[in-house]
Amino acid sequence: MTRTLLVLGGGIVGLSCAYEALQQGWRVTVAERGALGGQASGAAAGMLAPYYENGEAPDAFFGLCMDSFDRYPSWIAEVEADSGLRTGFVRSGSLHVVRHDADRLSLAGRMAWQSANGASMEWLDEAGLARAEPALPPGFAGALYCADEAHVQAPLLVKALIRACRRRGAQLLPLAGELTDAESDASGGVSVQFEEYGRISADAVCCCLGAWSGRLAAWLGLRIPVHPIRGQICAYDPAPIALRHIVFGPQAYWVGKPDGSLICGASEDEAGFDRTVTDAGIGRLVRAGGRLLPALSGVAPARSWAGLRPATLDGRPLIGPVPGHRAVFMAAGHYRNGILLSPATAAAFGEWLAAGGRPESGASRHAFRPGRFGGVGARERAEAER
Amino acid sequence: MDAYRTPLTIGGISLRSRLFLGTGRYPSPAVMRQSLEASGAHVVTFAVRRVDLDVAEDDPLLSQTEGRDLVYLPNTSGSSTADEAVRIARLAREAGLGNWVKVEISGHPRLLLPDPAETLRATERLVREGFTVLPYTSDDPMQAIRLEEAGAAAVMPGGSPIGTGLGILNPYNLGWIVENAGVPVIVDAGLGSAADAAAAMELGAAGILVNTPVAKARDPVAMAAAMKLGVEAGWLSRQAGRIPRRRHASASSGEEGGLFAARPGTAGGDAE
Repeated sequence: MTRTLLVLGGGIVGLSCAYEALQQGWRVTVAERGALGGQASGAAAGMLAPYYENGEAPDAFFGLCMDSFDRYPSWIAEVEADSGLRTGFVRSGSLHVVRHDADRLSLAGRMAWQSANGASMEWLDEAGLARAEPALPPGFAGALYCADEAHVQAPLLVKALIRACRRRGAQLLPLAGELTDAESDASGGVSVQFEEYGRISADAVCCCLGAWSGRLAAWLGLRIPVHPIRGQICAYDPAPIALRHIVFGPQAYWVGKPDGSLICGASEDEAGFDRTVTDAGIGRLVRAGGRLLPALSGVAPARSWAGLRPATLDGRPLIGPVPGHRAVFMAAGHYRNGILLSPATAAAFGEWLAAGGRPESGASRHAFRPGRFGGVGARERAEAER
Repeated sequence: MDAYRTPLTIGGISLRSRLFLGTGRYPSPAVMRQSLEASGAHVVTFAVRRVDLDVAEDDPLLSQTEGRDLVYLPNTSGSSTADEAVRIARLAREAGLGNWVKVEISGHPRLLLPDPAETLRATERLVREGFTVLPYTSDDPMQAIRLEEAGAAAVMPGGSPIGTGLGILNPYNLGWIVENAGVPVIVDAGLGSAADAAAAMELGAAGILVNTPVAKARDPVAMAAAMKLGVEAGWLSRQAGRIPRRRHASASSGEEGGLFAARPGTAGGDAE
């Protein structure tokens, strides 16, 4: 008998987990309150920059990022083959440019431990930088060049995953509205109710609600400290400057896409669940661009948008079985790294599925276990119910 | 108890808290803000190189602290010479970040221990230029004296290398620095938990500065609150005066409380 999986949340993480389950032969339904790929996934510039994102030490999070990064090329190839769509994956390399000598010390430290962990890196002085990225103006103290880092077009990847999931028979339910009820049922499965679709039952559930994950606290009896951080981002189209690499500057980053646009991101605003694009947020990116790249000075971006990233209290995602719920897995809280971490997250979920949902599986990912913040207290329960 | 709650004054500013908080490495801006609130810190430090000095109002970090009654302690981290540190301090002052500066000069990317000669040189120069200078230094008693002589408003010895969480590796040295200092001693760097914060205060520190142990805790907001309590507990404990360490047990209740209490006419109480 085919087993059924319900994925809560249709962002990049939910779609990736759905795709993994489909490949294992599960019958999959994905329910999404709004548009598929509409939040953090939609806001993403699609950076695959595990080195830039880990400035400090080769810890568990770095390990997860690298695991996912290493899976990317073959994972993308599979998604593209299954969907027949391109995802704009480009291994462009990256440049972390600095203006002052004082910035070199921390980058030298980063370069030392990351090179020892497999990164292809080189310090470029001003002349070296001019050769590597001729479009940059003079005046930089140098740059940390990383040959490995890559990017993908997040909206295309979402589209390809949707197509790949559909082709493998997934039932995708966007605009499902709010989740109004969820319970683990007597037969060991789970039953969930949405505003627009009524009750859906399944043998297993994967919770990928991103910034909205905290709403499951009461049901799961778990403290889920995930909060939304708004990311504002903009695109110049056509790109006023052709950059060969991802360029990380002191206040923003710029990346040229295969479709001819140049994306600049991103703000990190504390604005609750408000997705509004603000003049202050985009203005900051635009001014940072004008200062770093004179070609952008005075050019208005063609588009600007925002999404809500799911940040956690300790900066690490929640990936793993939910304690006390045999049939429930959680994959959420990926903050700025959902695109990068999707393959590894889906793989962790796949291991759990393949192991029959036994709670001990996936123990190697101890640092990311969803139960690490403890059970839900009376206060959190009251808040969740409000 | 209030008799012991005297405020710390540095550079003519009376501070609400003896806990100084660093603003780096937090998992999100929201967690940083909540941690800052939970800590009760009055002084916040940040690397000048992380701030966009061209357009300070555009800086994400500074806009976070906008509208709060805080004392900025910009630091010169990343610099490896006195020249560089002085240049960074001037940039910060010109950008309107105030008059305080934490001199932080390190020459080694892995140890990040302060360079004593360059730190002393930068402190002398910045004091002459009218800055309120708080140099970050190793737990070297002689260097602390030299920095004070150079005009430092406070000295900031590390408990252990920055970000290690190893706590206070040499309490003897720190105690010596505190006993001989004529300016406030702020223990900076290396602390790992609230217990370390209390230990530093019990050694006689006037305050502590923490960043990584809060920002990288599983729950930074709770750790910020714990650090606040640790500082208060350690300060009060120092003021209260601990008992001397003794080799042998001494019962907390005397014999007179027992069933066979001392009979009239015999000696009672402690045998001491």
